[in-house]
Amino acid sequence: MSKPSDLIQGTLDLLILKTIALEPMHGWAIAKRIEQVSKDVLQVTQGALYPALHRLEQQGWVRGTWRESESGREAKFYSLTRAGRVQLDKELEQWQRLSSAVVLVINAAQEA
Amino acid sequence: MNNGRRWDIARMRFRSLLKRQHVESELDREMRYHLERQVEENIAAGMNAREARERATRVFGGVSQIGEECRDMRQTQYIDDFLQDLRYAVRMLGKSPAFTVVIVLTLALSIGANSAIFSVIDGVLLKPLPYPQAERIARVFYGSAEYAKFPLNPWDFLDFRARNRSFENFAMYTHADVQLSGTGGDPVKLSAFQISSGYFRVLGVQPARGREFDFSEERPGNGNVVMLSDRLWRNQFGAATDILGRKVLLDSQPYTVVGVMPAGVDHPGNWHNSVAYGDTVDAWTPFTFNGNPNNRGSHYVEGIGRLKPGVTAEQAAADFNGIMTELASQHEGDKGWTIYMVPLFQEIVGPVHKMLLVLLGAVGLVLLIACVNAANLLLARSSARQKEIAVRAALGAGRGRLVRQMLAESLLIAFFGGAFGTLLAIVGVRVLVSLLPPRFPRTDAIHVNSFVFAFTAIVAVATGLFFGLVPALQASRTDPQQGLHEGGRGSSGSGRQARLRAVLVVGEVALACLLLVGAGVVLRSFVNLLRLDPGFQPEHVLTAEIALPRANYKTTDNVASFYHRLLTNLNALPGVHAVGAGTDLPWTGYDENLGGFTIEGKTPPPNEEFHARYHTASPDYFRAVGIPLVQGRFFDERDTKDSPRVLLINGVMARRCWPGENAVGKRISFADNPKDSDWFRVVGVVGDVKDTPESKGTEPAFWWPVLQQPFPFANLTIVLRTDSTPTLLTEALRTRVRELDPSLAVAHVRLLDRIVGEQFSTPRFALFLIGLFAALALLLAAIGIYGVISYSVSQRMHEFGMRVALGASSWNLIKMVMKQGVLLAVIGVAIGLGCALALAGVLDSLLYGVSGRDPLTLVGVGATAIGTATLASLPSARRATGADPMTSLRAE
Repeated sequence: MSKPSDLIQGTLDLLILKTIALEPMHGWAIAKRIEQVSKDVLQVTQGALYPALHRLEQQGWVRGTWRESESGREAKFYSLTRAGRVQLDKELEQWQRLSSAVVLVINAAQEA
Repeated sequence: MNNGRRWDIARMRFRSLLKRQHVESELDREMRYHLERQVEENIAAGMNAREARERATRVFGGVSQIGEECRDMRQTQYIDDFLQDLRYAVRMLGKSPAFTVVIVLTLALSIGANSAIFSVIDGVLLKPLPYPQAERIARVFYGSAEYAKFPLNPWDFLDFRARNRSFENFAMYTHADVQLSGTGGDPVKLSAFQISSGYFRVLGVQPARGREFDFSEERPGNGNVVMLSDRLWRNQFGAATDILGRKVLLDSQPYTVVGVMPAGVDHPGNWHNSVAYGDTVDAWTPFTFNGNPNNRGSHYVEGIGRLKPGVTAEQAAADFNGIMTELASQHEGDKGWTIYMVPLFQEIVGPVHKMLLVLLGAVGLVLLIACVNAANLLLARSSARQKEIAVRAALGAGRGRLVRQMLAESLLIAFFGGAFGTLLAIVGVRVLVSLLPPRFPRTDAIHVNSFVFAFTAIVAVATGLFFGLVPALQASRTDPQQGLHEGGRGSSGSGRQARLRAVLVVGEVALACLLLVGAGVVLRSFVNLLRLDPGFQPEHVLTAEIALPRANYKTTDNVASFYHRLLTNLNALPGVHAVGAGTDLPWTGYDENLGGFTIEGKTPPPNEEFHARYHTASPDYFRAVGIPLVQGRFFDERDTKDSPRVLLINGVMARRCWPGENAVGKRISFADNPKDSDWFRVVGVVGDVKDTPESKGTEPAFWWPVLQQPFPFANLTIVLRTDSTPTLLTEALRTRVRELDPSLAVAHVRLLDRIVGEQFSTPRFALFLIGLFAALALLLAAIGIYGVISYSVSQRMHEFGMRVALGASSWNLIKMVMKQGVLLAVIGVAIGLGCALALAGVLDSLLYGVSGRDPLTLVGVGATAIGTATLASLPSARRATGADPMTSLRAE
């Protein structure tokens, strides 16, 4: 059983928000898209995905609507809310600051 | 946070709370969809259908686990859990209705009693007085070594008003009833006050029509103006809009109406010739007086003032005492006085402040006992539920979760207790107000309002937490293994728990003892008051007041001859034993005035004067009231207007003025340099009567005969002693008065024993409530003891059976059980009586002739508590004798 800690929770949030920023998607598609784009490096388990989606919905960042999916069955499609878009920008900025900081530290460590 | 998001969040919370089913099924659908896509993908990758599904399910993990995690994400699980706990609690309480009813009822009774008493406290002690910035109003009194509280002298008042720097407005008022006539109906006696200009500015109330008096109207000759109350204006003048400027007849004199006060102007209460706070006052006239400004011996006006912002009563007192010192250096009569400033609020509620706090303390103790009792009952039940709790703990319920579950139950109980308690309080307050003593201040302000509801809610929640926490913590300590293991016989963890319950019961008994001691000494004090010889005989006596208008009865002769004729006529009525007239009635508080005099052949100590209360009385007044003659004779026909002047004095005056001598035959005078005709000879000594039954002692007093009174006492009280029902004479009395003067009103027709009864109403009220609370406390303690003993017996039935098998008799078993109950009671009694001794001082000021440490009461309370414990253990002891040795042996 996979644990949510496989992916840092905040990071998973960011990935989900970024993924559905392009178009509304259901849970299965979100997981698949993240896997594809990351070239199968990032595996999003269902045990992490659905609680994360649930929480994002509770916090008002995303909104879920039921409609027919490409497979012909009803699925819950998540889209970004306006507040979610603002949140995405904020998290992106934070992520960039964090990752460049990590890169700086690693480079400095290598030079030493 | 933007509004859209806030709305989304609210919508989601709402859904998670109230549409839980819907949310859950949606989640389920969502995950099923995911699973199916996974299966499809697996099939596409070449697996067969069965394998594809198995793989997908394995990858997917526990569906319920994910659901649980999602639930945690919702952040509403606390509320969710709470609702679940609550549902569970309702089920559990419903399972044991007897337990639930007992615990809810005891709590409801004590919460209700607390709320009711709190409503009284809120209305009387917490609400501000109905005057703007009432905290700035202060009353001004004199005090001396001899008199703790004394009215002001009018000349002094003028000096204070002119010289003080502390008051924005300083005014005086004095009670002076008038008779209103000429309005078409019967003449009516009005409750009226003479006031100085500025009196209503002190109170901060404006006339609804017209104006307040100005300074010019204080001058003699200008004072024939009047202000009417709203009530009088409506009842007697039909709310006439042209009332201002109209002339009305007061005491047969024309007065011009200059103002009408609005409805709901509360009388601030006065002390001398008292009209209680909030009682009806119908009219106000200006206070005018003349005479010698150097004569400062006469005290009959009361001071009231509005302090300047930022000035305290203490600063004002210092200011006034400075002026008093100046005055004392100028006027002989102003020596020896100190000024006291009493904030109006304190003056009004001071007399009942202590009693209300004691009642609040008593009722708080009851609540504490009820809490301990509830904790005790819950503990007993939690031992019975140990198995259930152990199962829940074994299934993974954390300690916190268990505590919350138990607390939900106690809060639910407290909620019902609070709800029923509120209903009880609403009824209880009505009963309480109807029981309040007649002169209890501010009864109109007592209501069950939202503040009281808030108080009740807080008390209920606090009690729920308080009595629930101990059993909840205790239960949560249950070791699941042990609990499950021993569950069958249920003797588990009980050593610790039994001790805890014993401690709680001891506490209950101790608190109940404390209340019982309080009730006991208050009862003893009340009996002392009732047993007290009042010094007169109040049965079968009718009293009524008559006021002769000064315009028609100018001289002493006019007044005296009116009363003489009236009394003669009344005496002829059938069934009348004795009829008299006098300036005052016993036990109606401080009456009239204090006169200084000279005693023949004696000089008073320096800077002091002989003085005593003065009154006037007709010959049969003492016989009518039932005051005995101690020595000499009463007044009789010999004491006419022209005969040698005589006096009656009371025993206290005889002993104080002529210690060790025979007072009869001695002479006193009220003149500075008495001529022979200025001397009054003492012809008799009458029995002592105190101002009120609670007064420490009797004050020295003397009486002039009505026919010889040195100035006209126009207002006398008629006293009729009969052999039958006194009220039957009311009409005859009115008729006789009307025959003599149809313009006179007969006011305040009362029975003397009713007046006496009112004196006992405050102690009776305190006794009733404290007794009620003590009885409730005793009942709760009995329930506690019964609960503990009964539980312990049920735990020990096996042991008892063994004992019977080994030859123990029923009597042995009963003794064993009873000993346990009595032991708890004895420890509780010891602690309770110890606390009572330590706290005895609290009650002292409320007691008469008994101390808070009264040994008889302490012994009685101890016996009552131990007796109750014995009774409460009896049913369990009887049950113990039913132990079956065979059952016990088979179980081994």
